[in-house]
Amino acid sequence: MDLNYWELIVQQPVINILIVLSHYLASSFGLAIIALTIIVNFCILPLTLKQINAMKGMQTLQPKLAELQKKYAKDRQKLAQEQMKLYKESGMNPAGCLLPMLVQMPIWVALFQSIMLSLAVAPEGLLNLSKYLYAWPVVYSILPLGKDFLWLNLAKPDMFLAILVGGTMWLQQKMSMPATADPKQQAQSRMMLWMMPLMFGFLCLSFPSGLALFWVTSSVIRIAMQYYSTGWGGLVPSTAGKQVIRDRRYKRRIALEEVPLKEADIGADIVEPTSTEEEELGYEKVGDEWQDRGGGYPARPGAFGRLPRRDRGHRRKRR
Amino acid sequence: MWFRHRRVLVGKILLLLVILVVVGLTSLGCVKGLQSIGWSGGAVSGGTLFVGSKEGRLVAVNIADESRQWSEPLKTSTPTGGFGCAPMAGGGCAGAPAGVAIYGTPAVSEDLVYIGGYNGKIYAFNSSSLATRWVYPREGNLAPIVGGLVVAQGKVYFGCSDGKVYALDAATGDRQWEFETGDKIWATPVIDGDRLFIGSFDNKLYALGATDGSQKWKFETGGAIVSVPLVHDNTVYIGSFDRYLYAVDATDGSLRWKFMGENWFWAKPVVFNNTVYAGCLDGKVYALDVRNGDKVAEFNLESPISSSPVMVNSSIIFASQKGVIYTLDTGSNKLKRLVDIEEEVYGPLCASDGVVYIHTQDLTLHRVNANTGAILMSISLKSKE
Repeated sequence: MDLNYWELIVQQPVINILIVLSHYLASSFGLAIIALTIIVNFCILPLTLKQINAMKGMQTLQPKLAELQKKYAKDRQKLAQEQMKLYKESGMNPAGCLLPMLVQMPIWVALFQSIMLSLAVAPEGLLNLSKYLYAWPVVYSILPLGKDFLWLNLAKPDMFLAILVGGTMWLQQKMSMPATADPKQQAQSRMMLWMMPLMFGFLCLSFPSGLALFWVTSSVIRIAMQYYSTGWGGLVPSTAGKQVIRDRRYKRRIALEEVPLKEADIGADIVEPTSTEEEELGYEKVGDEWQDRGGGYPARPGAFGRLPRRDRGHRRKRR
Repeated sequence: MWFRHRRVLVGKILLLLVILVVVGLTSLGCVKGLQSIGWSGGAVSGGTLFVGSKEGRLVAVNIADESRQWSEPLKTSTPTGGFGCAPMAGGGCAGAPAGVAIYGTPAVSEDLVYIGGYNGKIYAFNSSSLATRWVYPREGNLAPIVGGLVVAQGKVYFGCSDGKVYALDAATGDRQWEFETGDKIWATPVIDGDRLFIGSFDNKLYALGATDGSQKWKFETGGAIVSVPLVHDNTVYIGSFDRYLYAVDATDGSLRWKFMGENWFWAKPVVFNNTVYAGCLDGKVYALDVRNGDKVAEFNLESPISSSPVMVNSSIIFASQKGVIYTLDTGSNKLKRLVDIEEEVYGPLCASDGVVYIHTQDLTLHRVNANTGAILMSISLKSKE
């Protein structure tokens, strides 16, 4: 009845699922919000992991990109070619971080709208909600939904939850923050680190706390995913310092690799790094396995194996 | 250089995305139906129509010369939010009125006009000067008041979102009695003799003694009740959120019959010629036999009906939410489309001298000739601040 495509395909199902979840979760709308947030996160898990991995991958490329940038500072065309080559070789796509984020955005907006509509904070909201309901008896009888959850009135803003939203968002941002030596990029990351949590925290002071509950739950889930995927990331204080040292070592190594090529390939050999050198590059051996300590270079000692066949052949021939 | 530019560009895109998300959430937060705006109907008395405006003022409109008079704005009880929608009184979104939302239709008795605000206060104004006579409570606020007021036997009766039914002295505003139900009350009470009938969010219809607030009986439905009951011939007709329209014996609260619609019955029904006409949010008007609830006819208005209809002679005037006005001839049971005023209609209709007054969401009182459907000059309720 008078629903547009967005309302019909997205909002209506989500609203009805929220209401049914409330019914089966002890008539608690708070629990329904948490449950639906978990379900939706589970459904878009591949996208989220793809985004996290893409970001991780882009971080690992940063030193190489910086080096290329320095090397071809005066030749933009060559720089572009080399960068594309690097992306191709490493299997990375610069849009890989943005695309999953863009795909996820409508989902979050739909969830956000549905929660706001289901809360029906004003009489107009309850009246408006009636047009979204499926003809299921359980849906009609449970409305209007109970607004009490823990200490919260889900229809009113809550200061503590607003702080919690800001805090969890900061934590998640910090964990995913790239470790970089570039001051410009550092400044950009710092701005993102503070801007998002502050803005969302501030928004929560005027939005119903049901929405804040959704944001807190989302952030906690993303923190868990981020931890599973990259560990504590930017939360470990020494990582950035180590990164700078590793950057320098890597650049030195790149320089060693590049010089003979420029000079008509007169027989400079690439030597497989010894275990001590490997450790310097950010790996340590535990038992029989090599573990990543968070360095920004090849994901593991055998990573050269991932390079295109031409490169591997080139190395063997040289050896 | 190129890459640096590219990285700066990516940074800018990210920043833009963040701003878009925040601005988007802010604006989307104000999705339809989240602001408390109000839908007060009109009450005509002595040639003056009283209505609660969306600016949070009581407006007196002289029907003869269309002159208007405004009361002082009702005072908000809570500050509005920063970006989002404050759930109380008015809201903080762009486009929302600055004043207190008024949902109930004013009640007029002798020289006083009574009105309840979403700020949780009841006001009594002098009907000629619109000067405030008394306010209840004098200090602080009750929970939001959504339903209308009823004045009878020297008392003002109303239900409140705190779940209580209140009876105040009509002259002084002193509390006479209160009765607590199990949940919020958004419905308007109805007085029939010495009994008061009111529905609550706790799914129950209550019959109380109008004098002392004692409970006579209660009738449980399958959903919350927000609609105004209709009492006719010792039967109470009430719609519930379980999609049923109930006919309940007014004496003992026993069920006579029930009829199921496809959505909630929000508007007050009308009884005429042994037929109940009930508008439903499924967009249909159901004509039911008062004796057994059998469906006599149904009329499709193609848009939800939340506005309570009004009788003009032997016709019933309905308004759909989309703003289309219909007249239902009770003699022939024929529905005729009168006119489309092209504004959303939520509040109850009111009629005087063959003219239907429709308070729309745009601070305007529309007037339609009930017989011809001719649109008369509308009256702006916007105050001259």
